[in-house]
This record gives sequence, structure tokens and C-alpha cells, in this order.
Amino acid sequence: MAIQVSGITKRFNDFTALDSVELEVKSGELLALLGPSGSGKTTLLRIMAGLESPDGGGLLLNGEEALGLKPRDRQVGFVFQHYALFRHMTVFENVAFGLKVRPRGQRPGASEIKRRVTELLELVQLSPFAGRYPVQLSGGQRQRVALARALAIEPKVLLLDEPFGALDAKVRKELRRWLRKLHDDIHITSVFVTHDQEEALELADRVVVMNQGRIEQIGTPAEVYDHPASAFVYEFLGQVNRFDCTVEGGIARVGDGALAIPTQGGVQGPAVAYVRPHDLGVTPASAGPARISGIHVVGPDARIDIDLAGLTLEAEMDRERLATLGIAAGDRCAIHIDRARVFAR
Amino acid sequence: MPADTSVTAPASIAVPPAQSALTEPAWVRILLIGGALLFLALFLLLPLVAVFAEALRRGLGAYWAALTEPDAVAAIELTLIVAAISVPANLLFGVAASWCVAKFDFRGKNLLITLIDLPFSVSPVISGLIYVLLFGMNGLFGTYLRDMGVQIIFAVPGLVLATIFVTFPFVARELIPLMQEQGSDEEEAALVLGASGWQTFWRVTIPNIKWGLLYGVLLCNARAMGEFGAVSVVSGHIRGETNTMPLHVEILYNEYNFVAAFAVASLLAMLALVTLVVKTALEWRFGDELAASRH
Repeated sequence: MAIQVSGITKRFNDFTALDSVELEVKSGELLALLGPSGSGKTTLLRIMAGLESPDGGGLLLNGEEALGLKPRDRQVGFVFQHYALFRHMTVFENVAFGLKVRPRGQRPGASEIKRRVTELLELVQLSPFAGRYPVQLSGGQRQRVALARALAIEPKVLLLDEPFGALDAKVRKELRRWLRKLHDDIHITSVFVTHDQEEALELADRVVVMNQGRIEQIGTPAEVYDHPASAFVYEFLGQVNRFDCTVEGGIARVGDGALAIPTQGGVQGPAVAYVRPHDLGVTPASAGPARISGIHVVGPDARIDIDLAGLTLEAEMDRERLATLGIAAGDRCAIHIDRARVFAR
Repeated sequence: MPADTSVTAPASIAVPPAQSALTEPAWVRILLIGGALLFLALFLLLPLVAVFAEALRRGLGAYWAALTEPDAVAAIELTLIVAAISVPANLLFGVAASWCVAKFDFRGKNLLITLIDLPFSVSPVISGLIYVLLFGMNGLFGTYLRDMGVQIIFAVPGLVLATIFVTFPFVARELIPLMQEQGSDEEEAALVLGASGWQTFWRVTIPNIKWGLLYGVLLCNARAMGEFGAVSVVSGHIRGETNTMPLHVEILYNEYNFVAAFAVASLLAMLALVTLVVKTALEWRFGDELAASRH
């Protein structure tokens, strides 16, 4: 089922959480709403579910006007950030809840409910835990119960609010892969909210980058990473070096001419240039303009702090390359920039 | 042999008594625990024992006679009636008040919370007087009520009103922090899963607060049956008609009828004990679930 968001606006007192947001979620895709806290992503998700009502705009679920519908009539599955499992019910009862509360006519029989719940618990690999209470489960297990519970009502859309936010790094990675695989298997239109760019880029078919209640960019993970539409997107997606510069005749000059970067596009005058750490090349040069102020090895990669006429820059390379260069903290070096994006200031 | 002493002295220091950072020496522990126990025995246990000892001083026959005497029976019945009306009323009010405080944001919420606490901060005598001023013969609605032929003060309705007022905070005070801590995530989850508001309330909200609710009701009931001050003002002390158990105890005591006074008092004391036992039993029996509901 497709979701069409048109001109949705939401204010909380003086704070504008969403400012005329336009968005189309295609049927069957896995879409990420990515942004810092306060960007309005969770509010947008809650409006889709009917847990929040907008001050203006329209929402179509599968072509039908949905703003007038109560949450229970929207056929959406919602996975809450802190799972919101019913603490007094077992895992089985949690998953069965959505089926048991159906009106008498539509309610499946007890054996049918049992069959469906068992099937779902198998899907989320929690069959042995059917009789446990939520407190007796780990974070990752609770998250999967929440997912099974949301899927039990056979929703047309699955909405997930920071689904991996409360998990530790390793579990988060596993669960992320597992969710991607699950989505590939059942192809349910899904929207998830996250503030973790790595999660959005790895998991989603398309990423919506949000900031201050507006959408900054919509695109595939590769598009938003390689061609950020705005300075905000550039800064938000991954580590970045930021220079205040002046562009004259296609050359961005940083500081007192310490660095000159060739640019494309028609930006002139005061601007901001962005360079990703892995696009910043370092070569040892005894009379070079820059100095290496520190080297941090993180797993297979090395992060190099560089001091260039008072500017602190960061470069990134793998450890083998670091070894071939043979540089150490305190050495002087030259830097060259392969790729930079310049936005007018 | 100076060389020997220099070796043995550090060795004796190197083996300190097994003691963790948070453990106090034995004499401190004994003093603290002993002091606490002595205090409890002196101020709680001894009076309780005294009540039963005094009540049974003339034997079981006199004890039984004091409890089955018509005025005593009337007092017990009246107390049960008052509790039977005011406890359910406060159960409803308490759940409704905590529901709206915990799950909604509105203007004047803090004022409401303060108002809920009012009966705790006002002297019970004042609480009683308020009702006399409102509904008494010379009160605000006095003439109107007399014309309608309704008597509130010096009658059962007055007792019930005063009791409801005094015991109002028990359920709400117990539930508000619990419901605030639990938030409304589970209710939202239930609604998205297709439950109606009513189903959400009965299947999600109530089960989550049932222990707090039960505890609040127990306390509310204990106070409703034991309330003296407010009830004393509105009662009029008509024997066999408007005397609750605490008032009956006072009358008997003032008449130097100590055995009868303590016999009725012992019923109230037993109520307190039963309340404690039930609460402890529930906590023991359902400890896991209780912990789960507060996780």
C-alpha cells in the first residue's frame, strides 16, 4: 500500500514540528526517515499511524483519505521505540492481542489465533519464549515480539519508531540485517524512523533526510550520500571536514590561501566547502603546509588529525595505506583534495 | 629481636577482618537493629497487645457480649455501610483522577494534583465542619434541604460525605505516580492494534495498575472504617443510629466501660492487621508480577 503525505503541518505550541511536508511512500518499499532529534520524523510517523493529528494537510493510505480514520481503522502496524509490550501478558498473549480485540464477527477462533501466533513467533524466531513475560526477555527479543505483534493484525503498512535505538551495537547490526531480510520476504510497505545515518543507508530502499520539520532530500542511499542536496545533508551523513571559504573563478580559497580547492557549479563569493575524511589525501612532505597532530587507529582504519594553519582537519585511510606512507604524529605533510562540495553561504 | 618484629608486624596488618566497604562493625549493627526493634515494640507492638489484653480482661464472654450488644452491632453495621459506599466511590474518583492526570496534559493539572492532596493537609475536624457549614440546619443549603425533607448532617449521608472527603487521596495518590511512570505507550499500542477505548482500558490500563489500585483500596478502606475526626463532627453521636465504630469506642471509653471500648477497638485493630496481612500476602504471592508492572 502506498502512502501519500501532502502538505502536512504540525505545531506544538510555538514549536513547528512539521512544516508542509510532502512525501510519497511507494508500495512495498522500505523507507527511512532520517534526521536529528527534533526534526519531526517521529511526529510524521505518528501522524501516519493516527496517534497524532496534524494541524493541516492531507494523508492518503492506498489512495483513501485517512486523516479522519482512527488508528484502529488504518490497518497499520506500529513498532514503538521502547517496544510498549503489554507487561502483564506473556509473549503469546502480546502477539495474540490484536486478533483477540477484533469485533466478534471478524475475530478468528481460538485455534486459528493459536495457529497464527505460533506462525509469527516462528517467523521472529521466538517460539521457545511464548510463555515468557516481556521483563524476562532481552532487548532484541522484545523488539522482535513487538514486530510479531504488529504483524499479527496483517497490516498494510509497517511503521517503526527508532526500532533499534535502545539496543547495543552488535544486536542492532544483527537485527538490522534480519529486518532487511524479513522485508525482502514479505514485502510490506515499511517506514522507519532513525537518527543513525549508517542504519538508514544500510537498510532502506530510499532515505528521507529531515531537518527542522522539513524534508531536505529524498533519494536512494547512494544518491543522498554521493550527491547531498544541501549543506545540512552533507554534514548529517557521516563525518565531514567543513571549511569557510571564498570562491573566485571556480577556486575555493580557504583561510589566507593555505588551501585552494577546485570546484564545480556556479557558486561565487563566500561559501562553505565540505570534504569527506576519505577524500582528503595526505602525503609526507618535510616542507609541507600542514602538520599531523595525531593518529588514531580504529579497527582496520586510521583517523588522522591534521593541523593546517590553525584549521583542524580529519583524514581517514586504511592501516595498510598508513603504513606505506610511513607518517607519524608531529610530521609535516601536504594535503590534496580529490572531491569537495561547495554551498553558498 | 628487632629484625623479627619488623617482619611480623606488617603480616598481622595484611590480614584485615573480612569486611566490605558497606558493612559496619558488629556493635554498630546490633545497636541500630536493636534500637529499631525496641522502638517498634514500644510504640507499635505494645499498644496493640494492650488493646487485646484490655478487651479480654474479663474473659471471652464479656468480650463477646460487648460486641453483640445492639448499639455495638449498629455501629459495626454503620461503619460497614459507610465504607461500602465511600470506598467504591473513591475507587472510581481515584482511577478517573489519576487517569486524567497521568495520560493527558491540560491547564490546571498542578492545581488538580494539589486539590487531591487537600484532605491530607487539612485537619479532619475542619473537613467535618465544612459539611456542617454547607448542609447543616444553618448552613448554605440548610433551608433548601430541610424543605426537601433531606437530612445530611447528623445522618448517614453526612457520614459518607465526610468519609469520602477524608479518604479521597488514597487511591489517587497510589495510582498517579504509577501511571505517570508507565506512560501511555501501551495504550497507544493497543489502539493501533485495533482495540477500542473500552477494551484498552480493561485489558491494558487496569491490569497494569491493579496492584497499586488494590493497595490504594486497602488503605482507603482502613481509613474509611477508622476515621474519627471528620465523622465525629457530622455524626451527632446518636447511639444506635449515627455512631460508627471509632465513635462508639470513644463513647464507651468516656463512660469508663473499658472492656467494651477495647473490645470494639480490637475489631478495628484486627482490621488493620488483616489489611497488613493481605497486602503482604499479595506482595509475596504476586511479587514477580508486581515487579513486572513497575519495571
